[in-house]
Amino acid sequence: MMSLLVFRERVKNLYQRYDIYITPGVKFIFALIAFLSINKAIGYDSRLESFPIVLALSLLSAFTPSAVMVLLAALVAVLHIYSVSPIISIMVMLILLIIYFLFARFTPKLGYVILAIPILFVLKIPFVIPILLGIIASPLAIIPTACGVAIYYVFEVIKTAITMQQNTSIEDVLSLYTYVIDQLISNKQMIMTILTFALILMVVFYVRKMKFDYAFEIAIAAGALTSVLGFLVSDLILDKSDQIFAMILGTIASAGIVYVINFFKLTLDYSGVEYVQFEDDVYYYYVKAVPKITVTTPQMKVKHINVKNVAQGAPKSGPRMQHTNSNDEYDEDEDAYNNDVDNDEDDK
Amino acid sequence: MLNNSKIRLMTKLAVYEGKEGKEDISLSKYYKTDYVRYQVIKSLVSVTFGYALIMVLIVMYKSEYLIKNAVTLDYKTIGIYVLGFYIMTAALYGLISIFAYSIKYDRSRKKLSRYFKLLKRLNKIYNEETPES
Repeated sequence: MMSLLVFRERVKNLYQRYDIYITPGVKFIFALIAFLSINKAIGYDSRLESFPIVLALSLLSAFTPSAVMVLLAALVAVLHIYSVSPIISIMVMLILLIIYFLFARFTPKLGYVILAIPILFVLKIPFVIPILLGIIASPLAIIPTACGVAIYYVFEVIKTAITMQQNTSIEDVLSLYTYVIDQLISNKQMIMTILTFALILMVVFYVRKMKFDYAFEIAIAAGALTSVLGFLVSDLILDKSDQIFAMILGTIASAGIVYVINFFKLTLDYSGVEYVQFEDDVYYYYVKAVPKITVTTPQMKVKHINVKNVAQGAPKSGPRMQHTNSNDEYDEDEDAYNNDVDNDEDDK
Repeated sequence: MLNNSKIRLMTKLAVYEGKEGKEDISLSKYYKTDYVRYQVIKSLVSVTFGYALIMVLIVMYKSEYLIKNAVTLDYKTIGIYVLGFYIMTAALYGLISIFAYSIKYDRSRKKLSRYFKLLKRLNKIYNEETPES
């Protein structure tokens, strides 16, 4: 365990130093995965599937805000469908716009969730998102999660509609349209999935808020359990017992992934090197601000007054305590500011 | 001569301004009522768009029936239903927006108070550097 903690410190140092290179790199990889899975799932237009275009789109999303990536992905998906059936692509666009105007607009910071869920569905591990959001976000994240699930099922229905159109070559646009809407409204699996995801998110959120050792790990386990039970029930109700094995495997893999992310979360939260530029009357300043490393794990010692706990959670409770109440507040992570405030009172 | 404590202050301020503070500062230009009202209007507009699009989908879905019975339809009742649902949705979204954006404004104000304190300190350093005549 200790060597792992040391490894985490190393990663943190590395991340701090090369923050400006690592962030676009990671975003590039995510974008590449996203566009490749879109192509795999609904790759009807061979022009969009060509590697240079995928590469260019990924590069573009690496250096722009995450909203651009979501927008590009939606655009690519709509264009793919447009190449087979313009009328269905208009429908998809309408549905996406409705989701944006009524739901997604209100949680702008979690927009990437809407993209991530369909992608992870393609990769068979969608359970990552509700568990992870329970760990890092608030119950408000249910809204984008539900939108993501809905979008995935919209595209599923549309895939079948397109094959139907190709097989039987329906001329009648209207019946195609009513078919898609009928399928969407009567899609019990979609509703079950949305409900189960919401349940997982709530369970993980409330368990990790509880005040006992290893709350985060237990929250992940509880989320995985909720997921297995919830989807077991929904699979049995909907008579899809062939999916159960894949679902359980996917849940276990998802819990593992979330555990790894949680392990490195302190690293991810950490602010990297900042480059700022400002001026006063005399000088221009080009400042590189390197955050100090506050704790190095091997030297960390936690004094326990309660002797019982020493055996269990000695090396871990330190960073955890810091973290349980960390909102994104400006004042909490900058301990330097507290001094300033104290002085300020004196100044008056 | 370089004043180290001033540079430190300015760096902190600049880092805050460049990242988390960006939204807070743009938000601080409004009074609370103005900000909340503006956001509520924005969400009402977006709800209107969303509702209209849903109506388009429904009309398309029912178009066969609508065209068949175009003469005999009770347009008044349909209109009342459409309008009633619209008013309900809009009211719901408006209320939620009022609550959510007031909370957001208050939070960002709290964060900004730290920022303003630092600014005050910086101002003090300036005054010490160039004593007023």
